[in-house]
Amino acid sequence: MDSFKAVASNKRSIERGVGQSPLGLRILAICAVVLGFSGCGPANNGSNGTGAGQVVIAAASDLRVAFTDLGSQFEDATGIAVTFTFGSSGQLKEQVINGAPFDVFASANEQFALDVVEADKGWPETVQSYARGRIVMVARPGFDVPLSLVDLVGQDFVRIAIAHPAHAPYGIAAREALESVGVYEDVKSRLVLGENVSDTLRLVESGNVDVAIVALSLVVVGDAPYELIPENLHTPLKQSIVVTKTGDNEKSAREFVEFLFSQSGRTVMESYGFVLPVESK
Amino acid sequence: MLNDWFPLWMTLRVATVATAIATVLGIAIAYLLAKTKFRGRALVEAVVTLPIVIPPTVMGYFLLTALGANSAFGRAWEKLTGSAIVFTPTAAVIAATIAALPFVVRASRAAIEEVDERAEAAMRVAGHREWKVAVLVTFPLARRGILAGVALAGARALGEFGATVMIAGNIPGRTQTLPIAVFDSVQAGDIGQARSGSLLLVGIAVAALVAMTMLSRRRP
Repeated sequence: MDSFKAVASNKRSIERGVGQSPLGLRILAICAVVLGFSGCGPANNGSNGTGAGQVVIAAASDLRVAFTDLGSQFEDATGIAVTFTFGSSGQLKEQVINGAPFDVFASANEQFALDVVEADKGWPETVQSYARGRIVMVARPGFDVPLSLVDLVGQDFVRIAIAHPAHAPYGIAAREALESVGVYEDVKSRLVLGENVSDTLRLVESGNVDVAIVALSLVVVGDAPYELIPENLHTPLKQSIVVTKTGDNEKSAREFVEFLFSQSGRTVMESYGFVLPVESK
Repeated sequence: MLNDWFPLWMTLRVATVATAIATVLGIAIAYLLAKTKFRGRALVEAVVTLPIVIPPTVMGYFLLTALGANSAFGRAWEKLTGSAIVFTPTAAVIAATIAALPFVVRASRAAIEEVDERAEAAMRVAGHREWKVAVLVTFPLARRGILAGVALAGARALGEFGATVMIAGNIPGRTQTLPIAVFDSVQAGDIGQARSGSLLLVGIAVAALVAMTMLSRRRP
């Protein structure tokens, strides 16, 4: 008897349910179909409308300012649209090896470019060193920049940022420099590791750390004071570039590399504090 | 406001498609978990819930290992389609779907178990097949719980970052979603863009959640 009553009382809800799914789900389904089949979005062909092609470049974070400048000059000169992905060289290397559709990989060291070739994702003959990077110390706004790495000993600087040495060449150089002057063990527990070298600069610019070791190329154009770290304290940052096999625009990629080594390219790189290789070809 | 609207468009697309897939898949899994008894049911539930528990970067690493150019799946996909699956919008959808799925499964399963069995029994007595019972009675009666799960799944898909940046990358105009664009703006020191992007994301999330709440209260 009871169950009959239950069935009766549920009859209304059954009728209500029959033949219709909740409105929210129906709206979601419509949106999904519309969005799913509406092509790949408006900006997929790059911002350049001249049809001269495009090139997608994975570049080390120390190049963020210099390459953005270089990229717009390259666009003006060739009409080829440039897209940059900046990150730590180690992470970008992993992405290239896993098939990321980059046409060029500009590493902050030589090893990662060679690793890409090793994995058969880069053209061996295209590996070239395009610049040598330098590291500098910067302090948070209102703090005096220490004159030497040795000054980092002691508690004046509570937090010191470097890029992550596991995958960022500028972090490796920073650690080596700290080791060379014999202060690494002392500062180790006060280190904050940035995701990459431009992230490391943000940490100090925003006042979240007291001092940071970053790339000269990121601070050379700004107003903030910096202190150059002697190059003999670390393995030279022999930044190398490689045209990758994973992209779709090999021709534009080679043009970009050519531009980097051209007189205009060299002028740009020099203006950001890079030490350029002796002109060979 | 934003210099480039692509990331917003990309985010809306990825989140919507991912939520839709997670909804269909999630309700199916929830139904199986609620209605059937099989060996390893607890394990299935644990695996489905895993994306809530493990860090998104770990999930990204697993996905990159499983789908990347050097994996068996990655190679097969490349042979079939001619291009890699990682570092594409499809990869972003996969990451967002997996992140969103557990919210649909958990909420729907609870809601399906709450449905009065006598209502379902009545349908069976009337001679309806089991799938018809589910579609006509179980799901409609469980709709509030399901919608709550879908709302959470949508919010999660909208904000997905860690796994997405690993398997879809940060390629402007191709795979860069709004959360990744915000991260990139911060890295570039472009605080204005970071702020605009963040406010936009918060706005969308609030609007979507309010809309979902209102829809789940609504009487059909």
